[in-house]
Amino acid sequence: MTSSRKDSMNGTRTDDARSVGSKTRAPIPFRRLLSVETRKLFDTRSSKIMTVSLATLVIASIIGRGVVSGPELHTLIGTAGIGLGTLLPVLGILTVTGEWSHRTALTTFVLEPRRRRVLAAKCLPPLITAVTASLFAMLVAVPATAVIAGVQNVPAGWGVAPLALLGWTGTNVLVVAMGLAVGMLLLNAPAAIVICLSTPILWAVVGRLGAVGEVLTEWFDLNTTVTPLTAGDMTGDDAARLAVSTIFWIVIPMTAGAVRVIHREVN
Amino acid sequence: MIEFSHVSKVYRGVKALDDVSFTVGAGSITGFLGPNGAGKSTAMRILVGLSRATSGAATVLGRPYTELDCPGSQVGTLLDAGAQHPGRTGREILTLGAMTLGLPRSRVDEVLDLVGLTGRESRRTAGGYSLGMRQRLGIGHALLGRPRVLILDEPANGLDPQGIQWMRGLLRGLSGSGCSVLLSSHLLHEVEQVADHIVMIGRGHVLAQGTVGELSRGRSLEQTFLELTANADRSPE
Repeated sequence: MTSSRKDSMNGTRTDDARSVGSKTRAPIPFRRLLSVETRKLFDTRSSKIMTVSLATLVIASIIGRGVVSGPELHTLIGTAGIGLGTLLPVLGILTVTGEWSHRTALTTFVLEPRRRRVLAAKCLPPLITAVTASLFAMLVAVPATAVIAGVQNVPAGWGVAPLALLGWTGTNVLVVAMGLAVGMLLLNAPAAIVICLSTPILWAVVGRLGAVGEVLTEWFDLNTTVTPLTAGDMTGDDAARLAVSTIFWIVIPMTAGAVRVIHREVN
Repeated sequence: MIEFSHVSKVYRGVKALDDVSFTVGAGSITGFLGPNGAGKSTAMRILVGLSRATSGAATVLGRPYTELDCPGSQVGTLLDAGAQHPGRTGREILTLGAMTLGLPRSRVDEVLDLVGLTGRESRRTAGGYSLGMRQRLGIGHALLGRPRVLILDEPANGLDPQGIQWMRGLLRGLSGSGCSVLLSSHLLHEVEQVADHIVMIGRGHVLAQGTVGELSRGRSLEQTFLELTANADRSPE
C-alpha cells in the first residue's frame, strides 16, 4: 500500500518538469567551488582584458629589455617581474573584492553558505595564476634570448640559478597573496589597489628616515625582504625578515579579512 | 516549509524586525507585503543566512538554511535582480550557478527557455539588460536546482504587464507541483492576484496575516493594507 502510493507520488513528481529533482543533495565539494571560482577569474570582459594585458606586458617587456640591453636570460626574466609585480596584486585584489563591488556575494553565499570554503576557493586560482605567469615569462624569455642573440649576432647569456628562478616565482606568489590579503581586509578594490601599488613609494620615503626608518624597511617592506629570495641567496637573517614582513602584509590582513567576510552581513 | 519564529533584528539600535512569526506551508504562495523599508528584505536575508537575527530563528524545510546540505538545490532564492556582474553574460551567470550546484549544462538552456530569454539575449552581458530581463535571469537562477522552496524579493519590479502575467503563471505552476513560494512586494495588486496567503508587515512588525479572503474581510484588501500600514507608520514616531 505505502509503496504504491509512494510510487505514484514519484510518478506525478517526475512528470512535472519543474518539480523536485531526484538527484542527490550532497554538500558542494571543494573542487567544484574551485572550478567555479577559477572560471570567474576569466569570464568577464575586464578579466579577459586583464589576462591579455598580463601576457602582453610579459612579452613586450622581455623583448624590449632584450633588444636594449642584450640577450641575458636572467635579466629578461627579471624584467617580466616588474609587470607581474604590478598586475598580479591587482588580479588578487579584484578577485576577492569583486563579489562585494558587484554585490554578487548575495548569490554566491546563498548557494554556498560555508563562506570559509568560498574564500579558500577564491584565493587558490590567483596564486596558481602567479606560478603560471612566472613559467610563461620563463618560456617567453628563452626563445627571446636566442632570437635576440642571433639577430644582434652577440653571444647569449644563459646563466640562471635554478634557486633564483624558484625564488622569483615565489616572490610573484607572495605579491599576489599580498593583493588577496589587503583586498580581503578592505573589501574595496580602489583602496586596496592604491595601498598595494603605493607601498614601494612609501617605503622609499620611510627608508630615508634615519636609522629607525631603515630598520623598519628592512623588516616590514615586502619588496625589500623578497630581494634575497629573488636572488636565490637567502640567509637565516633574510628568512626571518621575510617571515616578519609576510606575517605583517599577508597573514594578519588575510586572517582579519577572512573573519570579516565570514561574519559580515551581506546586503 | 518556511518558518519565522519570533525573529527580531536590531541594526545599530534600531529595531528593523520585531518579533516576526509566520509560516509558509507546502505548496503555498505567500505574499510578503509591506511598504518600502518595512523589513521584508531584512527578513529574507535572515532566512537565507546572509544576515543574523538578533533573537528568534528562521528555518527552511525544518532547518536553518545554512545547515541544509547544498541549500541552493533545495531552495531557490532571488534577493536582488540588480546584483549581477555587469560584465558577465546571462548564460555565464546561469552556468556558474549550474556548475556550483553540480547540474548539467543543459539545465542552463532549459531555464533560459523557462524564463523566456532568447539565445541571443543570453549571450549579451547582464550590464546591458533591462530590469525586466534581470528579473527573468534572477528567477531563472533561482529555479536552476528545481527547488522545493522559492524565496523571491520584489520579483515583479521592472517587469512589464506581460512579464507580470508570465510570472503569475509560472508561480501557480510551481505551487501546483508542490513548491512553496515566499514573495515580497510593496505593490498589493501584484501579490493579491497570485498569493493564497498574505503576511503584512510594517516597521518590522507583522501587522496581519491570513488568507486573502480572511484579510479582506468583505472589503477590498487594499483598504485593510492601507489602514494597517498607516497605523504602523504613525505609532512609533
